Amino acid sequence: MSTMKRLAIALTTIAAVLALSGPAQTAHAQDVNVQGPLAGAPAVINMRIYRQMRFQIQGHFAMTLQDQFSRSMMVGGQLMFHPTDWLGLGVWTAFAVAKVDTSLTDQVSSKGQTAGVNVLSLPNPANFTQQIGRINSVIAPQVAFIPLRGKLGIFEKLFVDADLYAFGGVAFVGITERANVDDKQVSACKARFAANGLSDAIACYAPTQSATADRTAVAPTFGIGLSMFFADFMAFTMEWRALPFSWNTSGTDESGHPRGDYPDGKINESDRLAHFNHMITFGLAFYLPTKPKLSTAGNE
Amino acid sequence: MNLGFRHDVQTLKWMGPLAFGLLAVISLGLLPHAVRAQDMSFDINETESSAPKGKAKGKAAPAKEAKETKEEPAEAEGGGEASAEAGGGDVLSELSAGKGKKENETDEGGLPREKEVAEKIYAVQRMYVLRSGRFELAPSMAFTVNDQYVSHNALAAGLNYWVSNVLAVGVNFLWYQGIESESALNFAVRRSARLAVPVTQYQLGGNLNFTYVPIYGKFEMFNDSIFQWDTYLVGGVGVLRTRPVAVIDPAVRTFDFDWRVAFNVGVGIRVFLTKWLTVFGELRDYIYMEKLESLTVSLAQRGEPTTWIDANSTVTNNVMMHVGFTMFFPFTFEYRYPK
Repeated sequence: MSTMKRLAIALTTIAAVLALSGPAQTAHAQDVNVQGPLAGAPAVINMRIYRQMRFQIQGHFAMTLQDQFSRSMMVGGQLMFHPTDWLGLGVWTAFAVAKVDTSLTDQVSSKGQTAGVNVLSLPNPANFTQQIGRINSVIAPQVAFIPLRGKLGIFEKLFVDADLYAFGGVAFVGITERANVDDKQVSACKARFAANGLSDAIACYAPTQSATADRTAVAPTFGIGLSMFFADFMAFTMEWRALPFSWNTSGTDESGHPRGDYPDGKINESDRLAHFNHMITFGLAFYLPTKPKLSTAGNE
Repeated sequence: MNLGFRHDVQTLKWMGPLAFGLLAVISLGLLPHAVRAQDMSFDINETESSAPKGKAKGKAAPAKEAKETKEEPAEAEGGGEASAEAGGGDVLSELSAGKGKKENETDEGGLPREKEVAEKIYAVQRMYVLRSGRFELAPSMAFTVNDQYVSHNALAAGLNYWVSNVLAVGVNFLWYQGIESESALNFAVRRSARLAVPVTQYQLGGNLNFTYVPIYGKFEMFNDSIFQWDTYLVGGVGVLRTRPVAVIDPAVRTFDFDWRVAFNVGVGIRVFLTKWLTVFGELRDYIYMEKLESLTVSLAQRGEPTTWIDANSTVTNNVMMHVGFTMFFPFTFEYRYPK
C-alpha cells in the first residue's frame, strides 16, 4: 500500500473519529433543555426491561462472509444471562451444516495448472476442493454490552422495540486444513520428480492433497448486533461477528521462507496466514421469564 | 407525550380557583398514565413541552414557545377563560369543543357539579428533523466489501435535495484512482495454481439517485441520551470509468479508461447528532457491464489491441460500504401546524 493510500485512510479514520466523538456532547442532549417537573428525570419511564435478570435462549443461522475458497453455512444457539439490562454473559455456538465452495475454488479446480514449481501446492487441480480449509464449528464464551435501547417504525405501520449491542469474547474455532507435508515426504517426491518427471511427482503428492487435519484455533471474537422485540419474550436478532485468526485456507505452500511470504517447499504451520474471518447471523431469541419488568423513575 | 393533550381538557369560564386547582392535579395525575400508554415514549416533545411549569397553573404560555408554535393558542386550558377563543384556532381545542358543553351540570342545589372528562387524547409527536426543502451534503469514504481480488476504495461526496421528509433526489461522485489496492490473494493464486484472475481499475463514477426513508426510530443510551435515526433506500443510475489491469499478457497489453453505464441500489442508516448533522453508513451495490482482459493471447496478433479485450461483457457487482457524515442546509427549519 502506498504512502498516499495510507495517508488518505489515516486522515479519513481520524476525521471519522473526530466526527463521532466531537458532536457526542451535542448528541447527548439533542437540543433538549429540560426544565420544570421533568428536569433530571430519566429519558424513559415505564420502559420494558427486556434483559435484566432474564435468560436469553437463541437459535440462529450463520454464514461466513468474504470467504476465499469455502463458505460455511451454520446453525447454532446461544445461552445468555443478563444480570443487568445492559450486560449479558453467555456462550454462542454454531456448527456447519453445509460448506459451499466459492467461485474461485471452482475456477482453480477447472482451470488450475500444475507444473514443477507448484506441484506441492496443487498436485491435481481437479482435487483442489479436498485440500482447502473449512470452518466446522465455533464455540464462543462472550460478554454482551447493550448500550442503546429504542424503538423503530417500519413504513409508519409496524413499531417494535429494539436494542443495539456489542459483544466480545474468545472463540474456539474448529477447522479442517490440509495436513502437514514434511521434509521426508517432500524429499521423496522430489526424488521421484527428478527420476520420472512431473507425472510421477503428481502421483507422489496426491495422497497429501486429500490428507486433512482437524484442529481448534483460538481467536478473539467481537461484533455488533440488533434485536427487534416482536413480543415480550421474543426477539429477532441480526449480528455481524469477526473471528480473526491464522489458517491455511488454500492448502498451498504460501510462506515459511526466510525471505518472508515465499514458499519453503513444505506444508506446515508457517503457511497459516492471518485472515479477518467474519460472518453474519440471523436468529430468534426467547427470553425467560417471559414477562419483562417495567422501569420507573429511579430504578433504571 | 405531548403536553398538547391539555387542550383537550375542558375548562369553564365560570369555574373558580378550586376547579382550576383540581384540573391541575388531574392533569399532573394523567401525565404518567399517558406515557405508559405509549409503551416507551421518550420523544423530545415530552421533555420540551413539560418545561413551562406555569402552564399548569393557568398562566400565559412563555413567549418563546408561543412564537415557535405560532398557530397554537397561547393558552387554551389555563385559568378558565380561554376555551371559547381557543376553539377557533386549535385543532385539539376544536376536537374537544363539541363535548365540552355537556361536561358540566348543576346539582340539586344549583351548584356546578363536575363530571368525569372522557375526551379522546390525540398525542401527535413532532418529528425531530424536517428535511423537506433542505439540501444534504454527504462526504464519505467508500470501501469495497465483495471483491476478494481488488479493493475499489473511493472518496465520495453526495448532494441531495429533499422534496419531502421521506424522498430526496440527488447526485453523488466517487473518485477511485490512487486509492484502490490489489489484494495478496491474486498473487497467491497465480503462484500456487498458475491461474490469473482478470481485474479492473476504476477512476471515477457519478450517479443520479433517489432516496426514500421507510424506517425511522430512536435509541436511548443508559436511559439518558436519545438518538434519532432512520434507515433509507437509495437507487439510481450513472456512469463509471474503468479499465482492465493487464495480468494475462502485461508485457504487451495496456488499457485506457472507458465509460460504463452503472446502476446502483443500496440501503443505509443515518444517525442524527444535531438537527443538521448526521453520521451515516450505507451499503450500495454498483452494477454495470464490465469489459475484462481477454484470457487468451493470440500469438499471431499479440500486438493487436482489438484482441486484448474479452468479446463478452461481464455483469459486475461492486458492493461498497460508505461511511461518512451529512450536513443539512439550511441549518434550521420551522414547524408548521394545521389550522
